[in-house]
Amino acid sequence: MQPKQALLSFDQSPPLSAPLRFFLTAPLFLVLAGLLVAVEGEALFASRWTPAALAATHLLTIGFMLQVMLGALIQILPVLAGANLARPALIAAIVHPGLSLGTLALAGGFLAGSTAWLYGAGLLLAISLLVFIAAAGWAIFRVPSTSPSIRGLKLSLLALAIAGGSGLFMLLALAGGWAVPLPALANLHAGWGLAGWSGILLAAVAYVVVPMFQLTPGYPARPAWWFPVAVVLALVLWSISVLLDADGLARGAQGLLALSGVAFVLQTLKLQSGRRRARADCTFRYWQGGLYASLAALLMLLLDAFLPALSTAPAWPLLFGVLILVGGFLAFIIGMLYKIIPFLLWFNLQHQAAVPGKPVPSMNKLLDDGEMQRQMRTFFAAFALLTAAVFQPDRLALPAGMIFALAGGWLGWNLLQAALRHRRHRLAGTS
Amino acid sequence: MEFPAERTVDARFMEPPQPFVATMEMLDTLQPGEEMLLLLYREPHPLYRVLQQNGHRWQTELQPDGTFAVRITC
Repeated sequence: MQPKQALLSFDQSPPLSAPLRFFLTAPLFLVLAGLLVAVEGEALFASRWTPAALAATHLLTIGFMLQVMLGALIQILPVLAGANLARPALIAAIVHPGLSLGTLALAGGFLAGSTAWLYGAGLLLAISLLVFIAAAGWAIFRVPSTSPSIRGLKLSLLALAIAGGSGLFMLLALAGGWAVPLPALANLHAGWGLAGWSGILLAAVAYVVVPMFQLTPGYPARPAWWFPVAVVLALVLWSISVLLDADGLARGAQGLLALSGVAFVLQTLKLQSGRRRARADCTFRYWQGGLYASLAALLMLLLDAFLPALSTAPAWPLLFGVLILVGGFLAFIIGMLYKIIPFLLWFNLQHQAAVPGKPVPSMNKLLDDGEMQRQMRTFFAAFALLTAAVFQPDRLALPAGMIFALAGGWLGWNLLQAALRHRRHRLAGTS
Repeated sequence: MEFPAERTVDARFMEPPQPFVATMEMLDTLQPGEEMLLLLYREPHPLYRVLQQNGHRWQTELQPDGTFAVRITC
């Protein structure tokens, strides 16, 4: 090691447990969502508004997606933006159980139609989101937007506040029986949550990790700066159109949103085609699958902006949901987990928990590529079955749910095995 | 940003932690006041922290193709 390298202050990194606790429990929510699909079967696919569909959606979006995203942000804010989260272990200790229990209460509240469970879920989720948004906002809004990633992180955090706020408002309205236009609000809530928070965050992270992990060229600067702004602009216009009941404005906003997403997806596919890494690893394949599924979903959104009659078919929103959530966001997130977790564990062994005289196992040894490949094939089989189940729920809901639960459980098992291998290596040096 | 090749670390297709290692190795060869150029597709915030600790100055420019060009003064 060069003398100057030794000065790299690894103690700035948050403790390993802060992000890892989110990553290790998030797959359990995939298992629960899969089992719910299997148990409820055809009834879940009757409409996006069934209690089971709402419960399954939030097990995926909060239980899995939000958990992994918040855990990852705790870890990567210093790397992505030079912004340090104060007291990361304390924040994780509040947000992780709050989100986990809040999601379970929310899903239970939907399924049982229980007001008490919904209020409990609202309280837990509100506390978790407030703590995280305050801490991350304090860190990120104090650094200048010197890169498109930092601009994206700031705007995505604002979108999370709006998605969370609108979700909590609807939850109170549902539990309290208030007369509010729930379907229109739910669409906005989903828009701010999926496009505003998840979509912009995904892009902000992709600007860094796609070239870094997949050895592709970089994202051209101008579209990278504008993508987060275009998405927020579209969402603001869409929100105004709901307030003013202006249908034309809503369609224009939906079109802008879809086109912005399509541009990002096509750009990423183009970069991937220029990658320098010959071997297509698991992360690359997960991302490719995610990009094509997202493209299909975004084209549906675009088509719907001009031919609104299409989305009146009950299968339309369900198909869109399966494509964007399972085929898109879940695939991106699992693909990234398979890079981030071995790297974090390896980094920790290398620099923070080094065992003198004992060589650090490679990242491949911590998380075997074959294990990831087999899990990935199961996941994409589940995705294909879920897509088909939208059209034939009576025959396919049960196998789709079971295979999806298996893929989720397998992911959890793979991540746990990696964490245990890390632990064994660390303990071997202390005994 | 024109720079002699022998004072440039083109880390755009390197895997971490190679860009960091190559930059620190080149900095070790420079005299105080001399400059080097680091090219990569992300802003190297962890490197900035080390540069700051070691008393180096730097200036970063984002180019249209997405390259961050970091000019570092030893």
